[in-house]
Amino acid sequence: MKRVQLEILLGTIFVLLSMGILIYLGFKEPTRMQDYERIQAAEQIEFGAGLFEANCTRCHGTQAQGTALAPCLRCEELFTTRLDEVGWEGSLEDYVISVITTGRQVSTRPELYPGGGKPAMPTWSEKLGGPLRDDQIRAIAAFIMNYEGYALGLVPTPEGVVVEGADPGRVVFSDTGCTACHTISGLSTATVGPVLDGLASRAGDRVPNLSAEDYIRQSILDPNAYVVSGFESGVMPDNFSEVLSDQQLDDLVNFLLTLAE
Amino acid sequence: MLDSIRQKVRIPPWEELRQKIYDRIDNRVRIITAGLSIKELRAVLRGDPPTERPNPRYRVITTSFVAHLRPRYYPKAATWFTHTFRLGWFTTFFFVVEVITGLILMIYYVPHPDQAYQSILTIESNVWFGELLRDTHRLGAEAMVIFSWLHLLRTYFTGSYKGPRTFTWLTGVILLLITAWLSFTGYLLPWDQLAYWAVTVGTSITESGPGVGPALNLLMRGAPDIGAGGLLRFYLQHVVLFPLLAILFISIHYYKVSREHGISLPASVEEGDLTPEEKKEHNRRIDLIPDLLTHELFLVSVGIFIMLVILGFGLFNSPLETHANPQQTPLDTKAPWYFWWLQGMLKIDPANIIETLLGYVGIHVELSQLLDSKFIMGLVLPPTLVLTLMAIPYIDRNPSRLARKRPFAITWGIIWIFIVIALSFMGTPAYGIETPAATRIVQDLAPEEGLGPLRAIPYAELQQGAYVVGEDYGRDLCPDLVYQPEPDENPDKLVIGCPALTTVFGEYSDRLLAAEDEGELPDLQAQLVIEEWQPDLKKVTTHIEWSDPDSGEVKTYEKHFFLHREREYSE
Repeated sequence: MKRVQLEILLGTIFVLLSMGILIYLGFKEPTRMQDYERIQAAEQIEFGAGLFEANCTRCHGTQAQGTALAPCLRCEELFTTRLDEVGWEGSLEDYVISVITTGRQVSTRPELYPGGGKPAMPTWSEKLGGPLRDDQIRAIAAFIMNYEGYALGLVPTPEGVVVEGADPGRVVFSDTGCTACHTISGLSTATVGPVLDGLASRAGDRVPNLSAEDYIRQSILDPNAYVVSGFESGVMPDNFSEVLSDQQLDDLVNFLLTLAE
Repeated sequence: MLDSIRQKVRIPPWEELRQKIYDRIDNRVRIITAGLSIKELRAVLRGDPPTERPNPRYRVITTSFVAHLRPRYYPKAATWFTHTFRLGWFTTFFFVVEVITGLILMIYYVPHPDQAYQSILTIESNVWFGELLRDTHRLGAEAMVIFSWLHLLRTYFTGSYKGPRTFTWLTGVILLLITAWLSFTGYLLPWDQLAYWAVTVGTSITESGPGVGPALNLLMRGAPDIGAGGLLRFYLQHVVLFPLLAILFISIHYYKVSREHGISLPASVEEGDLTPEEKKEHNRRIDLIPDLLTHELFLVSVGIFIMLVILGFGLFNSPLETHANPQQTPLDTKAPWYFWWLQGMLKIDPANIIETLLGYVGIHVELSQLLDSKFIMGLVLPPTLVLTLMAIPYIDRNPSRLARKRPFAITWGIIWIFIVIALSFMGTPAYGIETPAATRIVQDLAPEEGLGPLRAIPYAELQQGAYVVGEDYGRDLCPDLVYQPEPDENPDKLVIGCPALTTVFGEYSDRLLAAEDEGELPDLQAQLVIEEWQPDLKKVTTHIEWSDPDSGEVKTYEKHFFLHREREYSE
């Protein structure tokens, strides 16, 4: 066989094999695209979970359970009656995206939240001066939507893991929304309220006749009784007596008492 | 009735009719093939000698535009596979692959930071053969870089840059630069972390230039930081400016080879002591039609087949990291591998080396103010190297092309190969970058991008719990766990316990405890906490506490990872 003929023969075989591979891949394309979308959706939820933790937990709680400042995002109410309540015509996911994007100028339920719902939720979209890109907001919305199984009871809500050695008061502090306004080194950064580092060392000197423990307890339950100079009264929610159980309150006070200089 | 028609219309006899039809078709074929008759075409495909005189195959080369760019023939020895390895040919082949796949990708790609990343996801998830297209484009780009380098090396070692080919070599070096820049500009387009930071680091080199440096940097980036303007500039360079330049220089480069001086003969044929018969045989004409052309079509089929095998069976995947985030510098910034040598050079501080060397002979000077290492290693040295590369044919005055008659050039070439390899190694993040122990251990466990051992653990094994480093958990972390790894395909297969999680936790513990022993993490307290977070979503927390060896202060390093059941990592 001449070289030309051999090359034509082998070339034809390679072309046929290549076509075979393409046809084989073509048959797999619909599944491949589906899988890719599924994985992409999963990645979006993971991505959203991280963003939620970094941006939203200070007011909505570490597990979106809501705090004294902002509503629960894993509760039945959001997935059932909320859209009717606000008169939103579109999908719940779009509603969530819209709320994150623009934030709220005024609370829609001022009676539930301290300060008459002011300040309400800030804007998050970078187009409106916030820090987040559109795809990040969509990821957070996807993460919130993924709570549906727990919210509607389709999936049993698991018991939380108890981390050995974790201070229960510290958990209360971050779960109740305190981190939204107060700074404790290593836990939160916020300047709405006073910084709490070293609180135990100065709490006893604030109000005559009040021990450090009593002062802290009073500041939580009746925040306007004494306001540190430089801060306005009426900003801190005054409904913690309803939000916290006695045990949680004790844990929280004990935790704050460990914050010595 | 038929007879009456036949009487009215004269129908010629069959033979005559057949000849007429044949002549008409033959005429058409000659026009389409620019000179080959049907008979001739058949002879071409069978490898038979020409059927007419003068040789109609040469007529094609004068009449057809495309064919006239090609040579009529090459001397036989120049077509030896072991002489050229078809390296230049394959470089061109990959360029054509890039043009075709690139044009299709342009239909879907949007060069704007808001949409670029999403458009890549759309190409992958919503376009038929979209992944194949993108992978082909990426693989073709890397192959083009590899083959152009190999082509350069081959030309260097066979001494083909000498004689009449000096200017061809120069255009070749320009093409090498164009290839590198084409692939670097394409690197930014997916707008992921990999792209964003590689290009940020790459363009920052220009910043150190004297006078015009900052302006040049601004010109490339379109703003102090790469954003919409920078992406558009890179995109237009990638799809318009540099492809056009590449076509221009390929034309110059190739036309010189095909029409002016041909492919070089192997040095052993050109300069060797050969008998007249051997010489005649080595110089025998190999015609474009049919020999070279069928060979090239054969190479096309081989090239496409190999690429499809590599891509169809998932041996190569285009990377795609998370969305570019200017606020978050990744732990390991990596240039594309073909620029590692440059990144490696940037890690060298010439002032420091000179100071140390002079220090040995007792001279102590302060040079770091005088010699800006980024400027020298990034802006002075690389252009000098490129200019030297271009000037090789003019520097090397040795007339011989035989390897044994140019020992200096050959040794020099081999030394440079080793230098580039060593520099490339220095360019990888493994070299010369120190990360704190806790950060490094967690990064290796679950890297910022890609898989890593933690994410490779089957979802079912992520048993909720707080696992404390240093505690004895027995042979398995979850003795009560039983799960089906492949519930659909193989429901009988069961895994008892969590072997993968146990291994990963063991590795994590071992490395942390080793770091504690070495004094990097004294008074270590570490945990791995796994929590059910949402339906099909778990949260893994790595919590590490230690006292700082210098200050004694308690330090904490905590990272959170979210793992979804459906997530599979393509690696």
